[in-house]
Amino acid sequence: MRQVQPRQNNLGIGGWIWAGNYKLERYLYILHRVTGLGILLFLLIHLTMTTVFRIQGQETWEATMSILHNPWFKFGEYLVVVALIYHALNGLRLILQELGFLMGKPTPPIYPYRDSLRKKRRWTMAMIGIIIILCLVFFYDFISGGW
Amino acid sequence: MRNTYLWFIQLITGALIAVLAGIHTVWMHLDAILGFFGVDLKDVTGWHSMIERSREVMWAGIYIALLAVVLYHALNGLRNIILELTPSARTERIVTWSIIVFGIMAFIWSVYVPISLLST
Repeated sequence: MRQVQPRQNNLGIGGWIWAGNYKLERYLYILHRVTGLGILLFLLIHLTMTTVFRIQGQETWEATMSILHNPWFKFGEYLVVVALIYHALNGLRLILQELGFLMGKPTPPIYPYRDSLRKKRRWTMAMIGIIIILCLVFFYDFISGGW
Repeated sequence: MRNTYLWFIQLITGALIAVLAGIHTVWMHLDAILGFFGVDLKDVTGWHSMIERSREVMWAGIYIALLAVVLYHALNGLRNIILELTPSARTERIVTWSIIVFGIMAFIWSVYVPISLLST
């Protein structure tokens, strides 16, 4: 009897970036992972800064802060805030959906198929809208605080 | 079953971080907008302002709670991503224990600093 070989996952890590024909939520998931890893990297730098440099006294702290007030660091800081906003709000959406909220009722799989997430797509769009508004609010604050 | 509990704690810590990191981020970055509502933070990252906050038990408590939930959420998330690559059982144990040891060391060191600054 002819054996059916399982399809190999040849995409590897590339498959984390390219989601093929999957819909919006799959790309939101990729972005959730990317922002999560970015925030983890920032967390390690932030913890080092607020412990090692803080405990060494006023001079070291002020010297560190003067470096961090450089416009490029400020821009990087803004990107971290954007990543935090996205990761937090998308994470809350994922928690609600995992617990069964914001999902459409299950229906028979009759073509054209509609998955449960897409029946309540407006909640996802509302979340994206809130993310954009919060990013603009923080952008205004970063600009008005001076680069 | 163990992974189900770990995932459930991941959800709870995620919700807690959204609140605690939200307070931290607004306090540290929204000075112009908070100023519009009459909250004057002065130089929030300045030494004197930072030391003043460090002496308050409430702020030290918020930072330590935030640190605990963030470290769990971040390191468990990293473990989940690594384990998606389906390593062998031995590698999985090494990854898990490395992450636990790193997390405990980072927590102890990062808690020592705010506690020692309480009495400055």
